[in-house]
Amino acid sequence: MARFRFPVLIALAVFIVALALTAALKDSHYILLSLVLLGAALFPLFAGLERRPIESRELVLLAVLSAVAAVSRIPFAALPSVKPVSAIVILSAYVFGAEAGFIIGAVAALVSNIYFGQGPWTPWQMFCWGMIGLTAGWLRGTWWMRKRTGMLIFGFVWGFLFGWIMNIWYLISLPDAFSWKLVVSAYIASFYFDLAHAVSNVVFLSLLAGGWIKVLERFRKKYGLLQKE
Amino acid sequence: MSSGFRSMHPTVAIVYYAGLVLFAALLFHPVYLMTELIGVLGLLLLQGQGKTLLRGLPFYLLMAGSVAVLNPFFSHRGSNILFYFMDQPVTLEAILYGLMMMLVLLTILIVFVSYNYTVTTDKFMYLFSSVAPKSALLTLMSLRFVPLFQRRLRQITEIQRTRGIDTSKGSVRKRMKDGMTLLKVLLTWSLEEALQTADSMKARGYGVSKRSSYANYKMDRQDIFVLVMLVVSGLIPLLGWLQGYGTMQIYPRLKPLEYTWQEAVVYASFCLFVLIPSGLEGKEKWIWRSSQRTGYPSAIPMKPGTRFMSSRSR
Repeated sequence: MARFRFPVLIALAVFIVALALTAALKDSHYILLSLVLLGAALFPLFAGLERRPIESRELVLLAVLSAVAAVSRIPFAALPSVKPVSAIVILSAYVFGAEAGFIIGAVAALVSNIYFGQGPWTPWQMFCWGMIGLTAGWLRGTWWMRKRTGMLIFGFVWGFLFGWIMNIWYLISLPDAFSWKLVVSAYIASFYFDLAHAVSNVVFLSLLAGGWIKVLERFRKKYGLLQKE
Repeated sequence: MSSGFRSMHPTVAIVYYAGLVLFAALLFHPVYLMTELIGVLGLLLLQGQGKTLLRGLPFYLLMAGSVAVLNPFFSHRGSNILFYFMDQPVTLEAILYGLMMMLVLLTILIVFVSYNYTVTTDKFMYLFSSVAPKSALLTLMSLRFVPLFQRRLRQITEIQRTRGIDTSKGSVRKRMKDGMTLLKVLLTWSLEEALQTADSMKARGYGVSKRSSYANYKMDRQDIFVLVMLVVSGLIPLLGWLQGYGTMQIYPRLKPLEYTWQEAVVYASFCLFVLIPSGLEGKEKWIWRSSQRTGYPSAIPMKPGTRFMSSRSR
């Protein structure tokens, strides 16, 4: 069975991609295609994690940071858009880099949804938080990310982007009504939620940034984790 | 207690739920969608999940219902104009399309309620540990850390209270600062301890050779039988869909549904796919009930036990 696993998986993937494309072209039905595209976006980074020789210390570090991010979501469960996850993912990515940031964000989404309930939104959240980590890691060397205000602006912008990307999975079920008017009204409806997320990002980042970056950097140095080549 | 469909091999469950989501996204046909919705609702009720369903239902209805309301006001395609709303035509086709999309969303959301009950996290991890061992280990570890960290955070809160660091007293500013102190302690403590875990993993030889995975699920004859049934009965509607069955054309002009014998075959096969787990669940309920009735001896000499009694993964 183990020998056939990969060919079978590849065949299945090709089959599903073909189905999704047919559905999109034939019936302009995009739900399946969107899931396939998300899968394609998530796949290379997880495959990178699988292929690369990784120290057990690094693996455990990633697990701890994802778990802290997931736990931080629990006390704020009652407030719909206040999620410290984004701030924690940004800080981790700032210290440990893009790839680590992506994994932490995606795993935090998956794990916290085991407590909050999985749904069609899980892959979207994995994608969003993964992308927050990835972009924060990419930009960590730039001068404005090093400035505290730059990082706060980054968090603020991603608060809105997160909401906008999450709106897509809802808009996709209205393929025919799709027009700029609909998009605008959907984004106006979600404005306060997005604003709450953006503001809470700024608050959490400004509270956490100094202390956490110091702690994480000390760990990176002390144990030689995920060093830049 | 797990019984019936829930105690089957994880592969069977994942094939079933993947099939349900796939069909909900592909088969754009009211009869098929209603069948799937009713089938999944029946399965949920048989699994005793009525309460969980009721708790989430208002949210699902709101989410799916808004699609049905929004579509006719933003989409003006279709030839049967019913009335004008703010100078915009509202067409019969757009209303029907919105209702169909509502069904699609509702079905997918409710499939996930059943999925959350049937495919528990350990089963999900079992399926992925052989394909992506590192990601699965990572997820599993962080999953295990969540309750641990919650417990730890409570301990830290109690200890720090003696130093006056308390999130329930003082100004908002002080309380937030105190909250962040608690989180920082949690982070340092957990990282320090987790890295010891990592060293101990390394000392035991993690990463030296290819990781083997322990399987505590065995495919028995019933699992294989049900899996084959699901695959066969699922492939027929899929092939039928590629031939153009199981969809309804709404735009640009509503087409009446056609009933042919090919369509009937496809539909019957689809029904079989949707209802197999409910059938299993119902069968177990029935056997259990009849095994309770000792006052009325059964004509069958050897009463078959439920799957819960014979299953080996207890």
